[in-house]
Amino acid sequence: MTSTRDLVKDERDQYAFHDDIVYLAQTKRGLTRDTVKEISAFKNEPDWMLQFRLRAYEHFLKRPMPTWGGALNTIDLDKIVYYRKPSEREEKSWDDVPEQIKATFEKLGIPEAERKFLAGVGAQYDSEVVYHSVREELTKIGVVFMGTDQAMKEHPEIFRKYFGTVVPPEDNKFAALNSAVWSGGSFVYVPKGVEVPLPLQAYFRINGENTGQFERTLIVVDEGAKVHYIEGCTAPIYATDSLHAAVVEVVALAGSKVRYTTIQNWSNDVYNLVTKRAHAHANSTVEWVDANTGSRLTMKYPAIYLVGEGARAEVISVAVAGKGQHQDTGAKAIHLAPNTTSRIVSKSVSKDGGRATYRGQLKVAPGATGVTASVRCDALMLDDQSRSDTYPYIDIAEDDTTMTHEATVGKISADQIFYLMSRGLTENEAQNLVIQGFLEVFTKELPMEYAIEFNRLVKLEMEGSLG
Amino acid sequence: MTAAIERPARAPRRAPDELPFTFLTEALVTAISDRHDEPAWMREDRLAAFARFAAMPVEPNRLYTSYVDLRAASLDGAAPYPTAQDSGAEVVEGVHGADDATAGLLVLDGEAVTVATISAEAAAAGVRFMTLGQLAITDYPLFKTLLADDPVLPADDTFAWMARAAWTQGVALVVPAGVRVDRPIVVRWIVGEPRTQIARTVIVLGEGAEASVVEELVAGDNLVPGGQALLSLTTEVRLAADAKLALASLQETGPDQIVFQQRTARIGEGADLRWALAQLGGRLVRSRVDNVLAGDRSTVEQTEIVFGADDQLHDLTSYTRHVGRDTTGHLLSKGVLLHKARSYLKGMISIEKTAIGTDSFLGEFGMNLSKAARAVAIPSLEIDQPDCRRAAHSSSVGPIDESQLFYLESRGIDPDDARKFIVLGFLEPVVARVPLEDARERLREALEAKWTAGSAGFAGGGAATAA
Repeated sequence: MTSTRDLVKDERDQYAFHDDIVYLAQTKRGLTRDTVKEISAFKNEPDWMLQFRLRAYEHFLKRPMPTWGGALNTIDLDKIVYYRKPSEREEKSWDDVPEQIKATFEKLGIPEAERKFLAGVGAQYDSEVVYHSVREELTKIGVVFMGTDQAMKEHPEIFRKYFGTVVPPEDNKFAALNSAVWSGGSFVYVPKGVEVPLPLQAYFRINGENTGQFERTLIVVDEGAKVHYIEGCTAPIYATDSLHAAVVEVVALAGSKVRYTTIQNWSNDVYNLVTKRAHAHANSTVEWVDANTGSRLTMKYPAIYLVGEGARAEVISVAVAGKGQHQDTGAKAIHLAPNTTSRIVSKSVSKDGGRATYRGQLKVAPGATGVTASVRCDALMLDDQSRSDTYPYIDIAEDDTTMTHEATVGKISADQIFYLMSRGLTENEAQNLVIQGFLEVFTKELPMEYAIEFNRLVKLEMEGSLG
Repeated sequence: MTAAIERPARAPRRAPDELPFTFLTEALVTAISDRHDEPAWMREDRLAAFARFAAMPVEPNRLYTSYVDLRAASLDGAAPYPTAQDSGAEVVEGVHGADDATAGLLVLDGEAVTVATISAEAAAAGVRFMTLGQLAITDYPLFKTLLADDPVLPADDTFAWMARAAWTQGVALVVPAGVRVDRPIVVRWIVGEPRTQIARTVIVLGEGAEASVVEELVAGDNLVPGGQALLSLTTEVRLAADAKLALASLQETGPDQIVFQQRTARIGEGADLRWALAQLGGRLVRSRVDNVLAGDRSTVEQTEIVFGADDQLHDLTSYTRHVGRDTTGHLLSKGVLLHKARSYLKGMISIEKTAIGTDSFLGEFGMNLSKAARAVAIPSLEIDQPDCRRAAHSSSVGPIDESQLFYLESRGIDPDDARKFIVLGFLEPVVARVPLEDARERLREALEAKWTAGSAGFAGGGAATAA
């Protein structure tokens, strides 16, 4: 099986790249009140944003490090560069993107492979959006898709109305950190009644040792509008730890429909501590489709607050935890309004000593009558070095709620493997097929090219362990 | 709100996880030990336990810290009984009054032991059923082993340490190897005046022994309205190979009482334990069951019901640890909640690396029958060994099933009766498992009486009435 190993290694190398970039501006390592002011000054921000950052910074100092979930004690917050800016201005056309950065994206296969499928490309290189192309017809129908920094300046009213309303800085320690030092991320506004015909996509990655990424995404979907947003990421492999603490806020106004798809494949030294939350207003639908295969530790629980009557929520969460990895992921559905529904499906695979944890919350608040909710968690463990945990919190304060929850944990049965091998598959292929089948509930929700890429990622992860 | 009503001065606000008493100090523990002239080992055991108790938070498990609420308890007036283990009356053999259905009866009314009997048959077979004080007198080495040298109480249970530090009463049941006690043994705790009773119950079954126990927690006729008593009980079960124990517990204390229960079982090879636990009474009940499936092929079945009304809070946790090979755990918790009642059902299944071939299931099902009721279910799994027959949990919370109601009504059953049948049927699994006919009937009557009292006015314009 050495040949397979070599092959796997070769394929992995494609993703393990790192370019030397001359950074035009960057802050000193570590975080002080001055760093926060410096970032705001670099970006020429309005005063309210500086005040917002400082308020968040104060809270960050006060808030203790979480003691639950994964091991966070190895993060050295003083070693991190909180802001660096790779190029002076946002590039409007692909041709204007600096050659070196472009070469990096070439390796990721963005332009040729994805461009024609995608409505717009927001690619994040380190801490700033460097590339944005928005298709003409999107602009024509009034869709705004740009870097968050740019949106703050160009669409101040709508930006300020919603920014920080879904995830306040005081929400948790890492939301406070992000709020203090955020840069980059995407802003999307879809006007009333507009359906965005193709998925919007932001492709981004971490580059630079010890570079923190604190992007901030805000998606506002107006009444009756519809959008699908996709983010996927790969990162170069480094020895020391990187921190990724993003905040994503989604506002789904009455009757709208939003789907947010993530394929998270950070390298295995990244701490991925992300706060993702949506407000679902009356009769809107919000869907998080979330896969985590990379990172050293991910703590991410995409949440939907069902604030308007008749809102619907759906979360499909997939995690693959390999050697040295801890995927502490899950979902939250908070029912605050009557006749709302939610469905959470979680699938996890752990192997080679990896740990996959489902942690979720389902809450039905007093007054939220007629709620229907379901949670389903399935876990596969491929060996007895690995670990799988399930921690669902269910809190129901209404008498006419219909809630069901089920969880199972198991291994791939020898029968399944034997059957597939009797049909001529190798053990490796058989196992892959079973895993792909197990994760299909997720893959079938992806656009075709993503489904292919995701299956390939999972295959890489699996082959790394076998052979 | 009429101003004329005089209200008692409000007690100072306490944090939800603050202990509701201050009398438990090292001085008290020393005094208990002094009063009974205890040997040095016992005094040391108490003091060491007190140190552990004092150093631990009320809820040491981070998963559950947000679901601790002791605020309903205010026990500073409920001073502990000065009695200790030697207060037990001598056991009278073969005296059973008119009741031949039991093999033994202990009645502990406040600080007094009012009945202590064992059937001649059981006594002849070497069964010991007595207070811990009597055990100390009749078999000091065994007493020492059970209480201090080889304890089964979990190290992470704050209230188990409290019991070990400050117990003043206790019950022992020791069944020698191969002995089958074919009639149930009854332990009755009567709680009346507002005092604190901290007690331990130790149950030991030798190899191949069989017994059934019915534990009754009932209200005394010396209840003081509004006066809170604390009954803190451990049940420490050791089952040797192939032993079989069925233990039913009926908790029907008065409406103001505070009940803490710590039950632990170490289950040996091929041994079988069946819990049937019913929670009806009390103002605040905190119960924890620890099942350690230590021996290969050991099994545990735990069936638990809560029927809450008014502002009762039943906070139930169970930990099931699979250690041996081919062990089986089947746990079922069900709750019916009226008025403002709350139930927290928390269950943790851990499958350790050694536990190959585990079959484990945990079900938590709630029925909220009022808009103000609140049901919390936290069924968790922690799995280190994937090679299991089954590892699953499921939970649901919902109102009375309308289709069942419709079916019964279509058979000519009055809607109020139909509701009653459905609710009582929902709780029947525990009733059916009570091994003593009398106790079973009394539980049925108690459930029915609680339903009749609690559902008054509810069936008419109540929340669950279908529109």
